[in-house]
Amino acid sequence: MRHDIVKRNNVTVFGKGTQPMLFAHGFGCDQHMWRFVTPAFENDYRIVLFDYVGSGESDLFAYDADRYSTLEGYAKDVLDVIRALDLRDIIFVGHSVSSMIGVLAANEEPDRFAQLILIGPSPRYINDEEYVGGFERKDIDGLFEMMDSNFIGWANFLAPAIIKNADRPELGEELTESFCSTDPVIARRFAQATFLADNREDLARVTVPSLILQCSDDMVAPEQVGEFMNQRLASSTLRVMKATGHCPHMSHPDETIALIKEYLATASAT
Amino acid sequence: MPDITTDLIDNAPCGFLSFGDDGKIALVNATLLARLGYERSELEGRHVESIFAVGSRIFYQTHFFPLLKLHGRAQEIFLLLRSKTGEDVGVLTNAARHERDGQSATDCVFIEVVERRKFEHALLEAREVAQQANVELEQQRHAAEEANQAKSSFLAVMSHELRTPLNAIGGYVQLIEMGVHGPVTDAQKETLARIDRSQRHLLRLINDVLNLARIESGRVDYVVEPVLLADVVGSIMPMVEPQIERKKLRFKAEVSPDLVADADREKVQQILLNLLTNAIKFTSEGGSVSIEGGGSPDSQVFLRVTDTGTGIPRDMLEKVFEPFIQVDASRSRSTEGTGLGLAISRDLARGMKGDLNVESTMGAGSTFQLFLPRGRQLKQGLP
Repeated sequence: MRHDIVKRNNVTVFGKGTQPMLFAHGFGCDQHMWRFVTPAFENDYRIVLFDYVGSGESDLFAYDADRYSTLEGYAKDVLDVIRALDLRDIIFVGHSVSSMIGVLAANEEPDRFAQLILIGPSPRYINDEEYVGGFERKDIDGLFEMMDSNFIGWANFLAPAIIKNADRPELGEELTESFCSTDPVIARRFAQATFLADNREDLARVTVPSLILQCSDDMVAPEQVGEFMNQRLASSTLRVMKATGHCPHMSHPDETIALIKEYLATASAT
Repeated sequence: MPDITTDLIDNAPCGFLSFGDDGKIALVNATLLARLGYERSELEGRHVESIFAVGSRIFYQTHFFPLLKLHGRAQEIFLLLRSKTGEDVGVLTNAARHERDGQSATDCVFIEVVERRKFEHALLEAREVAQQANVELEQQRHAAEEANQAKSSFLAVMSHELRTPLNAIGGYVQLIEMGVHGPVTDAQKETLARIDRSQRHLLRLINDVLNLARIESGRVDYVVEPVLLADVVGSIMPMVEPQIERKKLRFKAEVSPDLVADADREKVQQILLNLLTNAIKFTSEGGSVSIEGGGSPDSQVFLRVTDTGTGIPRDMLEKVFEPFIQVDASRSRSTEGTGLGLAISRDLARGMKGDLNVESTMGAGSTFQLFLPRGRQLKQGLP
């Protein structure tokens, strides 16, 4: 079982510490996106990286369209990894949609989680009456349409998936360089699960303390969304970053590392 | 004198744009400015997202940017740009990230795709239609299968329910005939014989229906073993000889004694009996019926039943294998058949990975051919 999950989710474990830091990548990428921040933590923590089924170098044959049609399915992947490695006292670091996936997992097994670090989280992307998510439904439809169009000319994303299936070892070298490779059909469904989800109700059930890292100019998760998260989560800390964009751990790794370290230091002091 | 490189970049027949890691546009060429309707001063210094449609902005943040950051390049990405007036412009983008003057810069080339998009849209739509059609087809197939299954179950249950009272009728007719309830007159005996014939006809019909239903619902087990075909022919001869003699038919059987099929012996018997009974039934007095056995080229063996009977019209050749079909409906009453024999026979033949077909000439007769998988040669002395 353990081995199955490790292989299925391409789990990577390293670091000199004992307390696990579980990093969950966001929509559109894979565990490689964490490589700018993990070196700062590997001396003090046990770093656990993985790819969701359908992303990166996970086992595409394990992909089940029904299971992964909602974020709950992705939360099962997180819990599978946690149970397979029997992780406890976890510092969960989730980017973008993985913030909400982490929330769902933590609500399922709160005792295993020590902290939730949520980078650019959003419980709902589409505006709803008073609630500002940042998008109208037609904007999201525009994204879907564009992803559909990219099915056809999707050289960067599609090619690695084909290489992987072709089982040609001489391309192995190339493969390790194929970051963020995604099967376009799976990516399209992941986009649907992500951008049509509404997890606002799940926030009130969270008991694990959390840090919200909010970028200052993030069009995917605007500042109002960070504030909404902060209001709804029971013991949360909101930090608005100088970093702009939606991927501060890639664009501004130093600030991201500093804020996480600062938070963890405060958390362990109290 | 104008710098030729600058001129080339500015007026190249594609959009060109360079932006830093902070997303701020450092350079944009005249072709792109003209297409999007901006002045240079309106774009340089602004975030690259400002020329993207909303969907593209999300895509940039979730896919394009991580790809550039990790890979250093991205190729053939489709993006929707948005012009100053709000018009969406579909482009294919190639981008590469470089170090320039100690800073990271991402250079992008945009080629507008108009005709190509139309084709892509048509492809996507066609795919959707095809998928929908597939779904519907699958649903229909499923519904048809279910209906057929329901029909077979119904027939099986009904046939069983009908057989019980029919057996009772047969039993009581026999008791009366035997005089158990007192003496029986000749006229009464004749009537009882008619009841008895009708009862047997009805019972056979019901048995056939039940058999067909069983075969169609896949509830027939085949015990496949090497079967000596000459042996099978020999075993059914006593059943048909009285009819052959009654109609004064010439009969000939030529089946090589070592011809072996891989088949279910009882089922082969059933098929052959059906074919012979038909041949005898439809051949007039003085005609001939023959059985011939041999090997066909493709690792099969065959049994051929030929008669000099009435023959089957060309348009009926396939229909005779359909349930409840008889060539001449008016005559079937006199020849007592259920119209199921050939349907059952062909189903059984196919159930044994064989087949049953027919060739016929009107007025000259018919030949039915039963094909079966060839079996291993049996050792001498074994049945």
